Amino acid sequence: MPILTPTAATGARSASQEMTYVDPARTMPPEEPDAFLEGTSLNGPFVADLLSDMMAHERAGARLYRSVAERTNNPVLKQRYTQFGKETTDHVEILETLVADLGGDPRYVSPAARATEKAGTGLLESTFLLTGSVDLMTQELVMLDAVLLAEAKDQANWACLAAMVEDLPEGDVREAFQTAVDEVEVQEDEHLTWAQDTRCRMISLQSTSGPATSLTMKAEQIVARIRSLFE
Amino acid sequence: MAFNPLDEQGIAVEDQFRNWSELNVTPYDKHTVDPYTRTRVILMNGIEVESILFSHQFARHTDNLELKRALATGRRVDAQQQKAVNGLNPGEQTPLETTLGYEQVAVDLTAWLARHEPDPMLKQALDFALLEDFDHLYRYANLYDLMYGGHAEDITQHLTEITPGRPTILEHRHPHDEVRPHFETHAVDPLSRMHVMTIVAAEQQTMNFYMNHGTDWIEPIARGLYAEIALIEEQHVTHYESLLDPLDSWIANWVFHEYNEVYLYWSMLQQESDRRIKAMWELHCNMEIGQLQVACDFMRRLEGREPAELLPPAVPDTPVTFEPNKDYVRQVLAEQIDLRADGIDYVDVDDLPSSHRYFQYQATVNEGGAPSEQVVEQTREKRGTEHRDETEGDHPVRDLRPQHAS
Repeated sequence: MPILTPTAATGARSASQEMTYVDPARTMPPEEPDAFLEGTSLNGPFVADLLSDMMAHERAGARLYRSVAERTNNPVLKQRYTQFGKETTDHVEILETLVADLGGDPRYVSPAARATEKAGTGLLESTFLLTGSVDLMTQELVMLDAVLLAEAKDQANWACLAAMVEDLPEGDVREAFQTAVDEVEVQEDEHLTWAQDTRCRMISLQSTSGPATSLTMKAEQIVARIRSLFE
Repeated sequence: MAFNPLDEQGIAVEDQFRNWSELNVTPYDKHTVDPYTRTRVILMNGIEVESILFSHQFARHTDNLELKRALATGRRVDAQQQKAVNGLNPGEQTPLETTLGYEQVAVDLTAWLARHEPDPMLKQALDFALLEDFDHLYRYANLYDLMYGGHAEDITQHLTEITPGRPTILEHRHPHDEVRPHFETHAVDPLSRMHVMTIVAAEQQTMNFYMNHGTDWIEPIARGLYAEIALIEEQHVTHYESLLDPLDSWIANWVFHEYNEVYLYWSMLQQESDRRIKAMWELHCNMEIGQLQVACDFMRRLEGREPAELLPPAVPDTPVTFEPNKDYVRQVLAEQIDLRADGIDYVDVDDLPSSHRYFQYQATVNEGGAPSEQVVEQTREKRGTEHRDETEGDHPVRDLRPQHAS
């Protein structure tokens, strides 16, 4: 099982910045990222931070999927959220394995990862902190919006990684990256395409669903409509 | 045996409401109370106040009805707990006597946390402010003597020394020199997180107490001293709250608050000598476990996160303990009396250039004198000597040994 919340107990390490102080015992020493991918054409410290950032995004995605799968009223969406959530959790594990195989520390939380985590937290909070001011149908759309936005970056991350692999010389490093990309990129394409298409369908169905608006409908009626959305 | 609050059910929050008689508790006897019972009461009152204020802030950032109702319910229970805890303070204990208790908390809590803090930066932050709160106890002790002929050691029972720390007049810093770097939420030791949350709540309560009780007196020296020290407490809240990582979500912060309350009530009941008050700590510990379970449930459902991923597998083995810290305080006095803040760093005062904003700010606020100096001067003039309780010998800093009235 991959680590979805790195903590001191699971060996998390980080890097001090102007306003972030990390206990020396848990600080990533600069020589480790410097040595990462040494001998390749890649900027090791940057890629170490990038992979940590990607892991933070996948971790936030796994939490997002767990959350929306729990809360959606639509069985089709629930099934997809559950499936994609599992795949996203797998992606965390694939990244952990990749980083470890390349000699890095999968428990490293880079400054870029912190920024990404903040964005992911905001995206997730947008799906539940303001539910009192949107109807149930709109809540479904807000959750799907969050998935779409998360998947857009996710897909872009893996597309970038795939492009990076093409520039690598043959060898163990390229093979490690290629294996991860081969496992994940197709799924990321599917996640993004599904989110885009489903959002379009949901908007289209709503746009053509007749004059009754969710403002005038009872909650049970809205839930019934949501349940039957893609039938 | 390890105590993991997540394995406990506690009391369901809906079953936690109490009637007025239960909240209108019989106060302790100020003449016979264990000084550390008083400090436990003061600390836990501050912890409840922080919990209430946090919950209000959270509620202002959401319109999720279920969440707001859960926050409102937990907050009401916390507000009842606060009344029960704070009600233990007797009416015959004057605000100045309570103030002496507050400063005993500040000294012995801060010193204990510093002694047990694993992170060197956080330990330094605690040591730095420790010397300042230590000085406040001395200044208020002199006010108590000056105004009433009172002996602060009747309150502290010689468990905490009363003697100068970093002189209050020198503690006034430009606000930019109060902001510190924060710990990293993933890498931080869970104990460190709880230490910081605890000291933020304690200092915030002290700030609030002085903000509101500074006008209880007619005498200008008392009003001035409270105003001056209240501003240092505001500095300390800025100083300590800076240490918290802003990355954590609202719900994560809610869970951390509840967890810390469980840890602290569990800590208090380990040491409490008063059986009646110990029963309150035990009751509140079980109530907080129930509140923690609610916060954890929201974390699971709304954040898709298992609280066990985030929280330690058990509360720390060592309970937060009120006990004498005289040797430790003396050691810090000897080593760090001349430290000042320069931006986010601590430096020796001799390393600050004369143009530094510290000196400019000092010149502004201390123009015309400082009540914290005047109170000691007036005590010397009236009593022939200033008020101290040095149980372990001469002050470790030669320059801070007593001066006698001329």
